[in-house]
Amino acid sequence: MKRSIIKSLCFLSAVLILSLPLYAAAADTIKIGATEPLSGTFKDIGERYLDGVVYAAKVINAKGGLLGKKVEVVPIDSELKPDVATRKAQNLIMKDDVRFFCGGTGSSVGAAMSQLAERENVIMYTYGMAAATMTGAKCNRNFFRPCANTDQQSYALAELIARKGYGKVAIIAQDYSFGQEALAAFKKKLAQANPSAKIVAELYHPAGTKDYAPYISQIIAAKPDVIFTPNWGNDLTILLKQGRPMGMSQKIFSYYINDEVTIQALGDDSLMIGNMGAEVYTLSIPTKKNEEFVASFYKDMGYYPTWLRGKAYVATMFWAEAVKKAGTTDVDAVIKAWEGLTYDGPAGLWTMRACDHQAQMPLWYTEIVAKTKFFDHAFEAPAGMAEAKDVSVPCAETGCIMKKK
Amino acid sequence: MKLKTNSYIVIIVLFLLGAVMPLVLRRYNLFMLTEIIIFALYAVSYNLLLGYAGLLSFGHAMFFGLGAFVAAVSIIHIPGLTLLSAVIISLVITTITGFLIGGLLLRHKGAYFALLTMAFNALFYAVATKWHSVTGGDDGLSISRPEMDLGFASLSVSSVSSFYYLILIVVGASIVFCWYFTHTAMGKTVLLMRENEERMKFLGYNTNISRLILFTFTGAIAGLAGAFYTLHFQFVSISAISIDMTTAVLLMVFVGGTRTFWGPILGAFVYIIFQNYLSDITDRWPLFMGLIFVFMVLYVPGGLSQTIVSIRQWFSGRTGTQDNGPAKAEET
Repeated sequence: MKRSIIKSLCFLSAVLILSLPLYAAAADTIKIGATEPLSGTFKDIGERYLDGVVYAAKVINAKGGLLGKKVEVVPIDSELKPDVATRKAQNLIMKDDVRFFCGGTGSSVGAAMSQLAERENVIMYTYGMAAATMTGAKCNRNFFRPCANTDQQSYALAELIARKGYGKVAIIAQDYSFGQEALAAFKKKLAQANPSAKIVAELYHPAGTKDYAPYISQIIAAKPDVIFTPNWGNDLTILLKQGRPMGMSQKIFSYYINDEVTIQALGDDSLMIGNMGAEVYTLSIPTKKNEEFVASFYKDMGYYPTWLRGKAYVATMFWAEAVKKAGTTDVDAVIKAWEGLTYDGPAGLWTMRACDHQAQMPLWYTEIVAKTKFFDHAFEAPAGMAEAKDVSVPCAETGCIMKKK
Repeated sequence: MKLKTNSYIVIIVLFLLGAVMPLVLRRYNLFMLTEIIIFALYAVSYNLLLGYAGLLSFGHAMFFGLGAFVAAVSIIHIPGLTLLSAVIISLVITTITGFLIGGLLLRHKGAYFALLTMAFNALFYAVATKWHSVTGGDDGLSISRPEMDLGFASLSVSSVSSFYYLILIVVGASIVFCWYFTHTAMGKTVLLMRENEERMKFLGYNTNISRLILFTFTGAIAGLAGAFYTLHFQFVSISAISIDMTTAVLLMVFVGGTRTFWGPILGAFVYIIFQNYLSDITDRWPLFMGLIFVFMVLYVPGGLSQTIVSIRQWFSGRTGTQDNGPAKAEET
């Protein structure tokens, strides 16, 4: 019996020893953990975002790195599950002392990462998680959003519709928090920008609807001038595919119209031509800085930095500016340096607002046209700019109470 | 008698070994060890159903997840709630739920039992997903770990090592309690029931009631593990109550072996370590876990613990009489 005790203890200690990882200290790099869905349904989105971050790191490293150190991107497959993302991030914090995290897909992942960042005092920034509450009621000092939120995007499109003088608007969205928030912000801004404009139809459908016929006939019956929708993925493509043949011929204003994968998946350019979208980054921004960026990206990678890649790139360069200004990777110093910082990049002048850590930037609206220099299929025409002040939500209206440390 | 003394020695040595771990291990490994202990409790509770009573449940995650969510929701909504009160609330609610569901299930065995537990799990999952205002839906719930209130002093368990000690003592004691349970008359009844229920009935036992007690007990223990899971990660999402969590515990128990009490503990150890290292290396780690599972079920049905027992018997030159129940295999 004694021997059996000794043996089991031997076994136990063997397991423990095996569980000690090989420790490799790498103090000469600055690590960023990028939480993206790298497997499953949204793999394609996650990979394109990650691509942008990796390219930003490459550009920084080619110029001698950040504070003399190399930037290393650690991909974290979030599987689009908040518990998986936080668990892996927690491990990286404890194992490798990673202090910076970013991500673009899934506001649920972002909300959980934001809380983790506050608890562990690391920085999380997002270039794609759009739920307004993350820099609103749920804001905290360790979370930054160098990209637009649903409010800003809706504001930009409402502003655009008002400016173009459309009087009757139909709006349709997925029936969950994202869709509802987007429409609420849109209605608010449209009423300010063009008080005479009328919402002739306001429709909500379950996310993942297959048959749009009832919604489309309601839209057609309401005879709008234009249609606004924050739909994305299949909910956007099916709406177009079923709606156009039924006679829903109005221009569509949408958040995510400039996705080359969606346009390719539609397989019929005529469904898309004429539609308009607004984003913080589009390939067709007609500034010199952007043209240089697009050209060098194309030279290095052999393809274009379309919206997701561009957004992730610009946001990561913005973060690098903050670290550079802080002169250290100390989290508190970087937070302080980033607040109020201005970055003049490919997508115009971006300012990180201190009151809610929501970047203020112009939005770029663009129309889908048949011929562009980028792709064989229809894509975005040169973009126009909606100024930062026109799409901004005042600090007092965000609901954010930023705790000071 | 000798057997029991030896077991006690092992338990004490394990606790002592556990107590020095914070001095040896780095923060990251200590965090992982905490997780392992919590999942060991979950796996042990599952094995009481599967290994001891021969009841294959596909719905154990409903208790784990319920415990996890109740802990999170009560911490969020009751200001000033102490850590142990949150755990006790979870324990009470999972016990009641276990009793109610157990009452509906106790007449069913085998495939019917398995499918019904799965159906209940799906029901709980659906509620957790849809009841957004309470459970946070897809977003999950973040909490901050409350303090321990010992009556005379309040203790902060926010650091990795202090929380580890709490888990080692409280969850460790719960595992020991489960082990003790298997040695009580009630525990033996469960075993005999698995072996020959007809005879037990003739002897005058009400097997339905025994099964109900066992089901409630294991549900409560899984809920306890769930509550500590929430406190450990300070976050809970619908993954905790999904069928994946049942699959995870099935894997742990099968890898560790159902025939011994300590098999599932070993299984939890191996599973968590594998999960952490494999997921570092490859995004396809569930595939490898699946392959291991298939391999274990096909070639080593007794699990790792069985292999260890066989090796030990081979070394000590004893003829390998195959154990057919956990009751006989507690020689450790």
